[in-house]
Amino acid sequence: MEDLGKIHQLIIHIFGRDFTFNVECMVMTWIVIIALLIFGYLAARKRNIIPNLLQLVGEMIIGIFYDLTEDALGEELGKKYAPLICGLFMFLFLCNWLGIFPHLEEPTKDLNTPLSYGIMGFILAHHAGIKAKGLKTYLKDYCEPMFIMAPLNVIGELAKVISISFRLFGNIMGGSIIILVVSYLTFNLVTPPFLNAFFGAFVGTIQAFVFTMLTLVYIAVQVA
Amino acid sequence: MPYDIQTWVKVAAFSGGGMAMGFGAIGAAIGEGHTAACANEAISRNTKLSGDIFKAMLVGQAIAESSSIFALVIAMMLLFTKFPEHVLTVPVLFGAGLCMGLGAIGAGVGAGYPAGSCCTGMARQPAMSGRLSTNMLIGSAVCQTPAIFSLVVSFILLFTDFSKSPVSPTWAAILGAGIASGFGAIGSGLGGGLVAEASCDGISRQPETTTQVTNVMLLGQAVTQTTAIYALLVSFILMFKTFPETHLLAPPMALLSAGICMGIGAIGPAIGEGFAGKSAVAWIARNQYQVADLTRVMLVGQAVAESTGIYSLVIALILIFVV
Repeated sequence: MEDLGKIHQLIIHIFGRDFTFNVECMVMTWIVIIALLIFGYLAARKRNIIPNLLQLVGEMIIGIFYDLTEDALGEELGKKYAPLICGLFMFLFLCNWLGIFPHLEEPTKDLNTPLSYGIMGFILAHHAGIKAKGLKTYLKDYCEPMFIMAPLNVIGELAKVISISFRLFGNIMGGSIIILVVSYLTFNLVTPPFLNAFFGAFVGTIQAFVFTMLTLVYIAVQVA
Repeated sequence: MPYDIQTWVKVAAFSGGGMAMGFGAIGAAIGEGHTAACANEAISRNTKLSGDIFKAMLVGQAIAESSSIFALVIAMMLLFTKFPEHVLTVPVLFGAGLCMGLGAIGAGVGAGYPAGSCCTGMARQPAMSGRLSTNMLIGSAVCQTPAIFSLVVSFILLFTDFSKSPVSPTWAAILGAGIASGFGAIGSGLGGGLVAEASCDGISRQPETTTQVTNVMLLGQAVTQTTAIYALLVSFILMFKTFPETHLLAPPMALLSAGICMGIGAIGPAIGEGFAGKSAVAWIARNQYQVADLTRVMLVGQAVAESTGIYSLVIALILIFVV
């Protein structure tokens, strides 16, 4: 129970400098990346008119997210952003499911991971906005409805980054804390598999989807 | 007659446990009653389906009940666990009970809405029963997220060792953290329920739009939870930041007010965002060719409704870091 307060932090100091590495999170992220690379390689290796199982799964995911992106951004921009949206979902999905396996931890349980992807989505959305509208219109949009409202609009935009990353972080970390505490209270009898199924598989899938959709929608709002 | 620490810890444990279960009993009961009312209406409309509707009602009520069960777990822990005899244990127990009790209100009421409209939807469109139940499960499970945040904050409060922190501002930070997450969860649970209710309604009205309705429901619910997430953020800062020791009354009060400000400030925006999401989902089911426009208007409207929640966040952060 003692590891609850100082949650999952493995910090390494190098030569008295303040470089701190969160080793656990980095290792888990690389596991996810390698697993995705292997999946991509296997799914695309023997492409056929009659798809094998992996190709089918890959085509299904890509089909769903290309459709969603094109619905939100239109035909032309949709093709450009769909690979990103698709990749983001697959990455976060696998990250959230990783905690189901014993001895593995979700990288998304560490605030650094969701926050980086939140900032990435923020920069992408604003880059897309400036590109689509031009810098002048983009800046002008901050002064809606009045010039005085500009600082509040900027705070509102920054709050989006906080909300999107803390939503993922809070759900995944909350789930893992609840699993830890309930397992401790019930002496690891019966309940953990059900809790893992709910918080790992179900909530993990929903939160990965929500994160991806929100990134997509933030881009769509900026572009429109 | 002076009381020792042990007595105060007991007092805090009992009052915290009482508040946890007392407040925690409000929401789920209302939600379950609403579900049962809708199930009655649905059965009288479509008597042949009474068995299926009855099952859907029970499943929906079970999910609505889960937030109360969280409160029950916390109340039992407060009553039967032996806590360290330290001054800071008193605000910890009080804050944890208050946090979970208040946090269970919104999610309980909210989860009752989709369950109710799932029952009426099954009566209207029996062929969609399967998809309706799935959608209801997803919707009401997402409604529980704010209650889960409260549960997490309560657990962290109960199991973190605060004994090394200075007593003076930390007691206020602990209480503030509990209050922020407790009140902050009320609106989001309720608002998320409104969105999910409209989605079950929409699917039964226009089965073709199921996928779009579920997607936009998830988006709407996610944005509705934003203020609960701000409250969670403020709670985390209050719990994990180390504050310098002080003998003045002002710094602790600033921390306590930060929690109160963020907690109560989160209620309204979340319910407002729930209305925006509800209407967007309901009209996507009626007009499926306008999904992109309706989603954009919903998000922009929700962002504007959320601005008061952002003001609360700004004031809370100023109270913590500046004052």
